Amino acid sequence: MASKWKELTKGIISENPTYVQVLGMCPTLATTTNAENGFGMGIAATIVLIMSNVVISAIRKTVPEKVRMPIFITVIATLVTIIDLLMHAYTYDLWKTLGLFIPLITVNCIIMGRAEAYASKNGIFDSFLDGLGMGIGFTLSLVLLGSIRELLGNGTIFGIEVWGNAFNMFVMILPPGAFLTLGLLSAFFASISIRRSDKAKKMASQQQAQKAGEQR
Amino acid sequence: MNKEMLKTSLILMIYTLVAGIALSLVYTITEDKIGNAELENTITAMKYVLTDENGNQVIPSEEIEKTVSGKSSEMGNVLYTDNIGTVNSPVYEFANGDTKYYVLTGYAPGYGGNVITMASFKYENGELSLYAIKVLDYSQETPGLGAKIADENIQKRFYPIPENGLSNGIKVDKDAGKQALSPEEAKSQGVVKVSDVMTGATITPRAVSNSLNAMYNYLKKEYLQGGAN
Repeated sequence: MASKWKELTKGIISENPTYVQVLGMCPTLATTTNAENGFGMGIAATIVLIMSNVVISAIRKTVPEKVRMPIFITVIATLVTIIDLLMHAYTYDLWKTLGLFIPLITVNCIIMGRAEAYASKNGIFDSFLDGLGMGIGFTLSLVLLGSIRELLGNGTIFGIEVWGNAFNMFVMILPPGAFLTLGLLSAFFASISIRRSDKAKKMASQQQAQKAGEQR
Repeated sequence: MNKEMLKTSLILMIYTLVAGIALSLVYTITEDKIGNAELENTITAMKYVLTDENGNQVIPSEEIEKTVSGKSSEMGNVLYTDNIGTVNSPVYEFANGDTKYYVLTGYAPGYGGNVITMASFKYENGELSLYAIKVLDYSQETPGLGAKIADENIQKRFYPIPENGLSNGIKVDKDAGKQALSPEEAKSQGVVKVSDVMTGATITPRAVSNSLNAMYNYLKKEYLQGGAN
């Protein structure tokens, strides 16, 4: 059970798709002009990611090694188109808001990356958890990035006023703001993992020293 | 070797075939629904641009719905372009007594893509004026800057504009060099005052103005040449 939990949570910090694996940069930079857009893109990508992981895991034994890439791309593109059509037909307002991002999901390399690195080698349930976890990680990353940019650029988060017009830097909403924020957040996530591994090393060397002491 | 190649391509073919069939199925199921949703959206926008300042519709809902549904097959073709703004078909015509209303949809490039606007023009006593507008699609504009165009109060800065303002060409106040005018004074000269409410974002309102000019030019020079004037 613990390992299943780990499958789910690894996408949030230790293998965060955006800041650690540095996947899917195009939609990340383009859609995080505010928190709401980031959230929308994250949710849409999560749904496609879960579905593509499940389907690819289910068909993995029938896919010949040599043509796996074209087959994966066909599966992903088909899923994205189906979702686009269904949303357009049944949830028009949502489609209007997210419409711009949906075709972008096809070329989101997180989905291809997880299909290749995980779903094509693991069972259906594990792949489902992996897709869900990675999707949550991606969504949280985008909301974080979008909130920071929206707050600094427009004084709001999710459209709710925080400090109004008191401290606004338009540059945060424009592309340079995306790169600045992304760079700083990546550094932050890297520092978390460095600290973690330092701690682990320290523990290991302490244990060794203890053992050595006992032996004497 | 040959056999393996054949097998691989066969598998690939089966996958693309299945994908194709699945897509055509979903498309067939959703086709009507999508058409309806688009129509619904057009009707809602049209009711908005055919509403007077007191909140009363100048044309009854049933008539709008009937006209829009009747012309649904003509939607989306290019009627006119002046290389900046483009007008899409169809032109919807309504009459309330002697007053005629024309509703047009057009677009012009904004900051990130086309900004699509629906506008109603009023024809009364031989004079054509801009009655109301609704910006339908501004999804590529920058949030906090160009996307502020979504605000109804900002869109109200665009109308009403009388014929002499329209014939000069609608301009954003910054382009006309008339930032000092009040919004109402500006409208009478065909100038849209937005520099105070959309600081730093001239491209999006300019796109809306360009599409409105294209609509007016088409209406005046081509559509109404049939003898209505």
